[in-house]
Amino acid sequence: MSLYDIRLLYIRELRAALRERGIVINSLLVPLLLYPVMIWVIFSGIAFIKGSEERLPSRMLLDGVPAAHGDLTDLFGADDRVDLVAQVPGGAGPEQAVRDGDLDLWAQFSAVPTDGGPVNFTVDVVHNSSMDRSDRALRRFESQLEDYRATWREQVASEMGLGPAQWLGFEVALENTATGEDVGAFLLGLMVPMFMMMMISIGCFYPAVDATAGERERSTWETSLTLGVDHGSVLIAKYLYVATLGAIAGFLNLIALSISMAALLRPLLGSDAVSFQIPWRALPVIGIGTFAFALMVAAAMMLFAIFARTFKEGQAMIGPAYILSLLPPILVTSPDLELNVKWALVPVCNVCLLFRQAIGGEINWALAALVILVQTLAIAALLAAVRRVLSSEQVVVGGFEGSLGTWIGRRMKRRTQETRHGQ
Amino acid sequence: MASEAAVEVRGLRKTFYDEGRGEVKAVDSIDFTCERGQVFGLLGANGAGKTTTLRMLSTVLKPTGGEARIEGLSVAERPAEVRRRLGFYSASTALYPRLTARETLEFFARVNRYPASEVRARVDEIIERFGMGPFQNARVDKLSSGMKQRVSIGRTVVHDPPVVIFDEPTVGLDVLNALALIDAIRDLRDAGKTVIFSTHIMSEAEKLCDRLAIMHGGRILVAGDLETLRGQTGQHYLEDIFVNYVSDADEETRLALERRDARELEGIGGRPGEPAP
Repeated sequence: MSLYDIRLLYIRELRAALRERGIVINSLLVPLLLYPVMIWVIFSGIAFIKGSEERLPSRMLLDGVPAAHGDLTDLFGADDRVDLVAQVPGGAGPEQAVRDGDLDLWAQFSAVPTDGGPVNFTVDVVHNSSMDRSDRALRRFESQLEDYRATWREQVASEMGLGPAQWLGFEVALENTATGEDVGAFLLGLMVPMFMMMMISIGCFYPAVDATAGERERSTWETSLTLGVDHGSVLIAKYLYVATLGAIAGFLNLIALSISMAALLRPLLGSDAVSFQIPWRALPVIGIGTFAFALMVAAAMMLFAIFARTFKEGQAMIGPAYILSLLPPILVTSPDLELNVKWALVPVCNVCLLFRQAIGGEINWALAALVILVQTLAIAALLAAVRRVLSSEQVVVGGFEGSLGTWIGRRMKRRTQETRHGQ
Repeated sequence: MASEAAVEVRGLRKTFYDEGRGEVKAVDSIDFTCERGQVFGLLGANGAGKTTTLRMLSTVLKPTGGEARIEGLSVAERPAEVRRRLGFYSASTALYPRLTARETLEFFARVNRYPASEVRARVDEIIERFGMGPFQNARVDKLSSGMKQRVSIGRTVVHDPPVVIFDEPTVGLDVLNALALIDAIRDLRDAGKTVIFSTHIMSEAEKLCDRLAIMHGGRILVAGDLETLRGQTGQHYLEDIFVNYVSDADEETRLALERRDARELEGIGGRPGEPAP
C-alpha cells in the first residue's frame, strides 16, 4: 500500500462525489440547512397556530356569581378573549354542551358566608380536556380568577387593617445559581451528540452506497480492481472518502446547530439569558470526537454495503447500520449520566459523554485519552471485520448473493461442517 | 517457468463453488503463451471460460491452481505490478461517469505510475490520437457511446502498457464503432504491444489474430496460427475450424460420460441405457 496511491484514489472519489447531486444534498446541504429550515418551519407553524388560537374567544357560562363579587363578572366581560354566554346554546344542559363542544367552560359559583366577614365562594368548573379550545378556556379562567383573588384579598386585608406581612404567610424566594451559559451548555450537551451522530450517519449513508453498490451498478467496481495499485489502497481510499463526507456533515451540522439553536430554543425556554455558545476549549475534543464518530460509522456502513450489488440493495443493507448508529446517543440521553471509566469503555457512548463533558466546560483529559483509545480499538475491530469479509473473492468481485448476515451464516455452517469432518 | 514470452500460462485453473451446482471448473488446467508484439485470440462460445481466464490474467480473480505470468511477473504473487503492465478493456470495466475525458486519462496514467512529469504530454497525445479534443472536458456520462469507447481505449493504453487485454470488446457496439476498435487493436500491434483478444465472433479473430486458442468447457482444445489450424482440420474458414474442434470435444465428452455411466451401472448390476434396478 502506498500513500501516493491512496491520495490519488481518494481525490478521485471525492471529486466524483462532489459532482453527484444526491451526495451534495445529503452530505453537505442537509446538515447545513436543516436547522435554519427547521426553525423557519416550526416558528411559522407555531405563529400560525397561536394566531389562530388567540383569535378564538372562549365561550364561558358563569352561574351564581355572588353579588359581592360582581366585579368578577365585569372582569370577564371586559376580556376580549372571553365570550360570556347567558344561556346554553341548543337548549341542552351546560355539562352536555361542554361535552359536545358547544360551550368551552361552565363555572358554578356558591357563596360561602362567614360571620360578619367577607363573602367567600367556591367554584365548580366543568371543562373538556379532550378539546384544545376548552383547555384554553380553563387556562384563561384560572388566570383571571387568580388575578381577581389577589386583588380582592389585598383589598379585604387592607380594610381589616392587615399589612402584607400579616396575611401573605410563608413566601418562597427562588434563586437559580445556573447562569445562562450553564443552562445552554446543559441543553447542548444533551442534543449535540444525538444530532451529530444522526448527521454523520446521513453524511456517510449515500457515499457508502455510492462507493460500493453504486460502483458495481455502474460497472466501475472492476475498473478500480484493475488499477495498478494494491486492492487495499482502493478500499482504504473509499473508506476515507465515506468517513470524510460523514465528518464534513458532522462539522457543518455543528456550525448550523450552534448558530440556530439559540433562535430555536430561547423562545421555547422563554428566556433570552440562555446562551448556546460552544466553548472554544471544547472544540478540539469535539473535532476529534467527530472524526472518531465518522470513522466508526463509515467502517460499519462499508461492512454492510460491501455486499450490495445494486444501489437499492445497498440502501436496504445499510439501514441496520444507520439505526444501530443512532442507538448509543439515545442510550446516554439521561442527563444524570456522566463520563467515568466504566462508560469510557463503551464505544460511541463514550464519545457522546465526552462531548457533553467538553460542552459543559470540564474536560478530564485522562478519561478523554481513554475514550479515544477505546474508540480507536473499536474502529480497528470494525476494519478488521471489513478486511475479513474482503478476503472472500466472491464478495470482492460481486459474485456473492446475500447480505452480511447471509455471509456470516454460511461461514458458520461451513465451519460446523469442517469440524464434523475433522472429527 | 521461463519468461521469454509476454504472457505465459501453465496449468491455470479456476474453480468456483456454486450453491446449486457445487464445485464448477470454470477454467481447467490451460496452457498457452503469447509472444511480444502479437495479437493472441481466445475463441470460445459463451461460458467457455474466456472471461474467467482473462480476469485471472488481469488479477481480478485469483487462480485456484497453476501459474500465469505477464512480462515475467506472476499474477498471483505480484498482482499490483502486473496490473501496471496491463491495459484491461472489457464490458465490466466501465469508465467513471463523473470524471471528464481528460481527468479520466490523467487519473489512469497517474494511478498506473506513468512518469508524473510526462503525464500531461501523454494525455495530450492520447487525446490527439483518438480524436477526443472536442469533448475532452465533458463529463463521461454526457458522452455518446462512440465517444465513450474512444475514452475507454485511451484509458486502457494511456500508461503505455506492454500487454493489452480486450475481453469481447465489440459486444454491443454498432458496425462502425466495432471496426474502429478493430483498427485501434491493429495499431497497438503495429506499435509492438502484445494483445490478448477474446471473442466469439470468428470474423474478428480471423482479421486480427496472429495466433489463436479455441476454448471449450474451460479447456483449450487447440492453439496455433490460423494456417496450422487450417492444415489440421482441412477447413478454410475459422468458423468451420471452430465447429470442428468443438464438435469433436463434445463427442469425446459424450463418450466419456457414457463410459462413466456404464462403469457405475456395472458396479450396481445394471446395463448401460437401462434404468438402474
